[in-house]
Amino acid sequence: MDLIRDVLDKKLVDREDCPMGRVDGLVMQLGEHSQPRITHIEIGGQTLWMRLHPVFARLAVKLGRAWGPKRDGSVRIPWSRVITTGKQVKLDVEAKETGAIDWEIWIARHIIERIPGGGEEEEE
Amino acid sequence: MKKFMQIALGIVTSVGGFLEIGSVTTAAQAGATFGYKLLWAVLLGTICLIFLVEMSGRFSAVSKHTIVDATRERFGFPFFAIVLVGMVLVAFMVLVAELGGIGLSLQILTGLGFPWWAVPVSFVVWLLMWKGTFDLIENGVSLLGLVTICFVVAAVKLHPDWHAAAGGLLPSLEGDQKAKYGFIAVSILGASISPYLMYFYSSGAIEDKWDVSYIPINRVIAVFGMSFGGFLSMAVLITAALALKPYGIDIEKFEQAALLMTTALPKWGFFLFAVSMLFACLGAALEISLAISYFFAQGFGWNWSENLTPSKDSRFCLTYTIIILIAAVPLVFGIDPIKVTMISMALTAATLPLAIVPFLFLMNDPIYLGEHRNGWISNSVVAIIILISFVLAVISIPLQIIGG
Repeated sequence: MDLIRDVLDKKLVDREDCPMGRVDGLVMQLGEHSQPRITHIEIGGQTLWMRLHPVFARLAVKLGRAWGPKRDGSVRIPWSRVITTGKQVKLDVEAKETGAIDWEIWIARHIIERIPGGGEEEEE
Repeated sequence: MKKFMQIALGIVTSVGGFLEIGSVTTAAQAGATFGYKLLWAVLLGTICLIFLVEMSGRFSAVSKHTIVDATRERFGFPFFAIVLVGMVLVAFMVLVAELGGIGLSLQILTGLGFPWWAVPVSFVVWLLMWKGTFDLIENGVSLLGLVTICFVVAAVKLHPDWHAAAGGLLPSLEGDQKAKYGFIAVSILGASISPYLMYFYSSGAIEDKWDVSYIPINRVIAVFGMSFGGFLSMAVLITAALALKPYGIDIEKFEQAALLMTTALPKWGFFLFAVSMLFACLGAALEISLAISYFFAQGFGWNWSENLTPSKDSRFCLTYTIIILIAAVPLVFGIDPIKVTMISMALTAATLPLAIVPFLFLMNDPIYLGEHRNGWISNSVVAIIILISFVLAVISIPLQIIGG
């Protein structure tokens, strides 16, 4: 498997195919007497913006603390939860429970559902 | 029969994407200043767009990915962030211009200045996005844009010299006003080859659940739909060449552009121009707002679809809500939409390589497209478009300063 080509930045879905972001980062463990191995997938602004510059990552953290669902750091999901990789990465988790879609839920609850027509109707 | 209807509707709705304040203003300026001489720029822009739109639709139908999805996956986040900033900034300026175009049309129809219309117009655009479905935006509003056929009626009624017009399809060098000639040519190309159309079209293919069986339909829609749009732009240019150039009317204000219809249609011309621009700009404003939101949502992996209830894709809906709100601000303060249009068209041209170069790589990626990846003809055309886009990127800003 080519981690950069097949995993990093790929779309993530949970076991019900609910979108839960993209693979923003990968955590690798380096052992003295063993091969390096990927232990976690990371999802979240801090990891993502760190790839551009630490200044952006610090800004993302500050924004997260001042506003929104008040989550510290990125979401980490164990690599053992990966079901498939390819066009998207499927995880054996429920998106809501991981915290990966906390912002989606927070914005829905605090902004969108307060605007008329934002949440009551059935999907068309 | 169903597929025939899809093709017919696809062709008609393509006009909504093609004809908007940018293409009308640049074509009218070209005709009013240089007669038929810049028809080649409209033709070139249309041919480029046909190829790009066909590829965008094919990419999504085969890979089930949008171009934005694939740009982030294939090139990584740091490069994606650069494309995001460039594309969103330019698309935002085009959105301001389109909202301003609706306001200016209403100003012509009612006499009330366009800054007063900025908030109500933005609210209506937002409401259509909030309550509407993708089909409503793609088909309903774009169908109204069919009124722009009045530009063809006006052009024919003015009895153009078809031989001279055909001569304009071949590029020629302008003796005087070289910088202005170059600037308008660049702006026409910027107005025609709009990357946001590629992103919108590719997302639309996913919204409409296209698969490989749609490849022939996609090809027909791209060729005939974009040709239809280009044909209407040419009609605007020809009408301006016959109605404005003889009187030395140079288009710097929207009301001057409205005059292009009154020679051919004295009674209804002004009204028809205003209504045509109203619907064309409304369709374009909706498509651009959606395209910007698609860009963010797909790039960051959020839930997205214009067919979902807003609470199901809250970040997607919040994005277009904020974008439309911010776009109304400069208009409230009376910023001239025509100036914004001309600047945004030149900037579109300047940022084209950012969109087209990665697109060439994606269209040749066997992981996404398998046997449906580009052949040598499509690749040659994209290579030429990239060459044009680099030339435009280099010359657009200096030409804007000298000739704009």
